[in-house]
Amino acid sequence: MPPLAELQHRMARAILGADVGGLPPLAPSPIPAKAAFGVHRNTVLSGLTKALRLTFPTVDALVGEAFFDQAAEAYVADHPPRHARLAVYGEAFPAFLEGYDLAAGLVYLGDVARLDLAIDRALNAPDADVRRHVVIDARVSLALPVSLTVLPLSYPADVIRAALDAGDDEALAAIDLVPQPRFVAVWRVGREAAVLALGQAAGLFLASILTGAATDEALAAAVAAATPPEALRAIQTEVFAARFAQIIQIRHEDTTS
Amino acid sequence: MNTLPSPGGAARPAGPVPARAGIGLRFPHHQQVLAGRPDVGWLEVHPENYLGAGPFTEDLDIIRRDYPISLHATGLSLGSADGVDDAHLADIVSLCRRVEPGLISDHLSWSAGGGLHLPDLLPLPYDEETLAVTARNINRVQTALGRSILIENPSTYLAFADSALTEAQFLSELVFATGCGVLLDVNNIAVTGGNLGEAPAHRLELLLDYVPPTAIGEIHLAGHAVQRLDDGVILRIDDHGSPVSPEVWSLFEAAIARLGPRPALIEWDTDIPAFSVLQAEAATAQSILDRLAWRSARAAAG
Repeated sequence: MPPLAELQHRMARAILGADVGGLPPLAPSPIPAKAAFGVHRNTVLSGLTKALRLTFPTVDALVGEAFFDQAAEAYVADHPPRHARLAVYGEAFPAFLEGYDLAAGLVYLGDVARLDLAIDRALNAPDADVRRHVVIDARVSLALPVSLTVLPLSYPADVIRAALDAGDDEALAAIDLVPQPRFVAVWRVGREAAVLALGQAAGLFLASILTGAATDEALAAAVAAATPPEALRAIQTEVFAARFAQIIQIRHEDTTS
Repeated sequence: MNTLPSPGGAARPAGPVPARAGIGLRFPHHQQVLAGRPDVGWLEVHPENYLGAGPFTEDLDIIRRDYPISLHATGLSLGSADGVDDAHLADIVSLCRRVEPGLISDHLSWSAGGGLHLPDLLPLPYDEETLAVTARNINRVQTALGRSILIENPSTYLAFADSALTEAQFLSELVFATGCGVLLDVNNIAVTGGNLGEAPAHRLELLLDYVPPTAIGEIHLAGHAVQRLDDGVILRIDDHGSPVSPEVWSLFEAAIARLGPRPALIEWDTDIPAFSVLQAEAATAQSILDRLAWRSARAAAG
């Protein structure tokens, strides 16, 4: 019998499909070794596939069960699980789908997966009433849900998801799939996730301040996509007045105390 | 005496897990439990499903106030030669502080090796090296938690030829080496016995002979799938996807007859049915507990 560590390393790879050899002899049993290992391989693959399906429901709905299962099996082979929490499995699935040969014709699939992943992560974050404060200037700060993320996308994953959710095949078929930069905000509201498309200037501004940039840096990022007046207008209407934002007036005594 | 509030927020937990029938709580039933407060002795959840900050974890913060909670882990990988994952253990410890569960358990199995973590409960060779590894891991977990845990006998599909100990002997050694308890899964007894060609009733007797009765702190009940292989051999798969079989109810009754009443849990994880189906299964378990308690009381009264 090999030492326990070696046995476990070999067995883990064998269950994931590698032909490692050198497994220790089994006790006589009515169940053939191949069938016994088959149960473990099926448990592992079905558990991981189910975890991916729960995290990427829009991808699943787009490609169908059989294709999803096939993609999941290929993903498991490329990215074997390394964490006890199944819920965090699949971080690399969007990028994997973009390079997956069988999905080469579905150029938007990676972005759809990115949106699914952002929604899943938002749903596992504290609710919208838990906020972080971003100081805009000496008098104003912006209170944003800690679950809020801004996704830079090339394809309208949010529009695709909405059409699928509505079961609107006509709308789905009419979606313009020419790639162009876009931003989508995602945050948790109770048991659901809210998804909101943002224009370029607003998206660049919000993405900047969420990464910790100062207000002037975020404004500089926004004016790269629009004239200064247009950028300011977009920030006012799409960020400061957005459903996810709360404006906090900082009282003078607060700033000096 | 003053006590610190729990980090989860406040309210005190419902109390210790009673020697009654309980139900494994899964996400589809959260709303029903929150809204209807059904009559169930206690609830058990998998902590790995509650390590995020989402709505299900918030549900558990509320549910724990009304129901005794058991945390039944699946990912500590207590049999791993590579040891218990630091970050995962820290997450489990944090959740335990938040929930203040009446019981905490995991399995006599391994999941992690060589940097991989497989979502399965994989079999161990029962020898001296594995005993030392598993005892070290259990001690580490118990030290981190500041309390003892229960170790569940696994469902197995294969056994290693060089195992020097039986599963019952191995569990017994762990109890004496670490002070842990045992979670007796009678469905796993049926599955493992069937797959390895041993009579489940005999397998149960052996376990009850070796493990001190006081160490057995909980019993699990579940259904399993039965497949006929090409050569006619019957393969039992522990899928928790059907009612408890008559054979498993018999094993439960035999175990309770020897042990006395214990917390007894209905587990159902595949094709999860309506909560009322789980309640009916729990009612059957409760009736067995009540009947044997009554017989025992009569016998004691002479």
